[in-house]
Amino acid sequence: MFDRDVWQEIFNTIKTNKLRTFLTGFSVGWAIFILVMLLASVNGMQNGFYNQFNDDATNSIFVRSGTTSKAYGGFEAGRRIQFKNDDIEYIKRSFPDDIEYISARYYANGTARYKSETGSYSVQAVLPNDQIIEKTLVMAGRYINEADQVNKAKVAVIGRKVAEDLFKKEDPLGNFVEINGLPFRVVGIFTDDGDDNAERRIHAPLGTYQRIYGNTNDINTIALTYNPEYDLTKALEFSGRLEDLMKRRHKVDPEDQSGLNVWNYAEAFDNISSFTAVLNGVGIGVAFLILISGIVGIGNIMVFTIKERTKEIGVRKALGARPRQIINLVLLESVFITAISGFVGLLIAWLILAALGPMFQTPAFSNPSVSASTVITATIILIIAGVLAGLLPAMKAANVKPIVALSDK
Amino acid sequence: MIEIKDLHKSYKMGSNSLHVLKGINFKVEEGELVAIMGSSGSGKSTLLNILGMLDGADTGEYTLDGVPIKDLSETKAAQYRNKFLGFIFQSFNLINYKSALENVALPLYYQKVPRKERQEKAMQYLDRVGLKPWASHHPSELSGGQKQRVAIARAMAAEPKVLLADEPTGALDSKTSYEVMDLIQKINDEGNTILVVTHEEDIAHMCKRIVHLKDGVIVEDKKIEQVRAGQYV
Repeated sequence: MFDRDVWQEIFNTIKTNKLRTFLTGFSVGWAIFILVMLLASVNGMQNGFYNQFNDDATNSIFVRSGTTSKAYGGFEAGRRIQFKNDDIEYIKRSFPDDIEYISARYYANGTARYKSETGSYSVQAVLPNDQIIEKTLVMAGRYINEADQVNKAKVAVIGRKVAEDLFKKEDPLGNFVEINGLPFRVVGIFTDDGDDNAERRIHAPLGTYQRIYGNTNDINTIALTYNPEYDLTKALEFSGRLEDLMKRRHKVDPEDQSGLNVWNYAEAFDNISSFTAVLNGVGIGVAFLILISGIVGIGNIMVFTIKERTKEIGVRKALGARPRQIINLVLLESVFITAISGFVGLLIAWLILAALGPMFQTPAFSNPSVSASTVITATIILIIAGVLAGLLPAMKAANVKPIVALSDK
Repeated sequence: MIEIKDLHKSYKMGSNSLHVLKGINFKVEEGELVAIMGSSGSGKSTLLNILGMLDGADTGEYTLDGVPIKDLSETKAAQYRNKFLGFIFQSFNLINYKSALENVALPLYYQKVPRKERQEKAMQYLDRVGLKPWASHHPSELSGGQKQRVAIARAMAAEPKVLLADEPTGALDSKTSYEVMDLIQKINDEGNTILVVTHEEDIAHMCKRIVHLKDGVIVEDKKIEQVRAGQYV
């Protein structure tokens, strides 16, 4: 197979039939190019999805209250459900083994002012654990801690955008920002990978806000993370139990989603995983179909080549070429053309991805790329494809009867 | 060298079968130069194809250099052709993307002779047909006579027992025909056995023996006084 003369012959035929070889190879190169690009696109979508969801801890559950849409337990529909601080204690008590972290949120709007700069921001009053649940990254200073919560301290952790807007070039840490007329000391600045909007928020201790706004115990949302060792089934089972419990406590119809809603991250994550898996499958399937047409193309051209070279093969056989040697020659030529053109397709796709991939950083599509295993698989497929494409024509060539091939009268 | 006994061959043509060779008995000694003559359809090409193991006989015996040639597999036939026979064709049948030297070296390649040795040997044979300066030329750059001389060198390169020439001068003008025949005579003078199929009287008379075929049987087999081609060149 690694006979110098065989290679010389292959190069010779390729050299004398440049256009034909190019056209043949193009179909395979194109197929591989599409295969790689499709897989990379799916990969890009996957990256995009994951980036979007990576923003929060993937084992988180959010419990939100609303207005009931069904009459239940003697109450009419249209009742507002309001969580209180003791809901937190109640959940903690009820599921001591299931819950990892728990936080409560109270949302308010606030006009913030520092010196002459003002802006309107949403204020999220939280418990200290919220940092872990929302994966908030503190880039300077610190986050809200237990002491702030207990002392109902007027401190704030502001988003990066807020800091830029209000403080310009000044260091916000230790300075006072006025929120709805009350001074809050800035103790930290946070960033968020998820989106810019999250960075236009101000976080403050829950207790402080509840005291300022009417001395209430009201909570808007309960956020928690469950035991990270839970798999999907266990996680869903837990959120089901949690939902049942909360609905019973607040007398909401078990089917009523607008009165009380438990949203489990795992569910969405699972959906995305299976979605991208399906996309991957579709991508591979489409590329394979295209590759098959490439293989048929090569096979077709090889048959044509054999026909054209019938006489030459007849001469070779008359000179003592064994059928195996003829098969080898044709197969090797086919594999060679397939492999080279496939590699060119692979290389072009890879170069395009390397050059343009990092430029895609949108939420739905991010950094499309292919893994080494994809490249290796594609290579193996190419060689098999080459053999398949060459096999039939090679056998046909080996069966050429020299007497028929040489009859030129 | 060659011995044929009661050779029959027929071809199927649709529902009819065409009986081409109807019992050929024929013997060739070593060093002979035999012309096989006959009009088209006389079966002379079929006979040559069977002698060349390119085609099989229906019945009859064929012995080549003491080896019975019968029921050969493709691979075996290829081996025997390579070892025993050298072919010279009317249309030369050189491989046009290979140089003269590479063409001559091809049978040696199939004998698995190492590359270097192969090229040296091929060069020797090219020299013998007077084409050493043309070794690197491709067939398209050679004249008809030169092409046939390359083909003869190729046929001889494997040092076969018998050279089979099928109308070797059929595509050449008379002057080049005589040059080629001169070469064939010289090769024969060195003791090589050669069979030439031809329908030209003058070419046939440059051999030492003429076998006349008609309708699938030998009608005449005579030794003749050889006309030397050299005098016309």
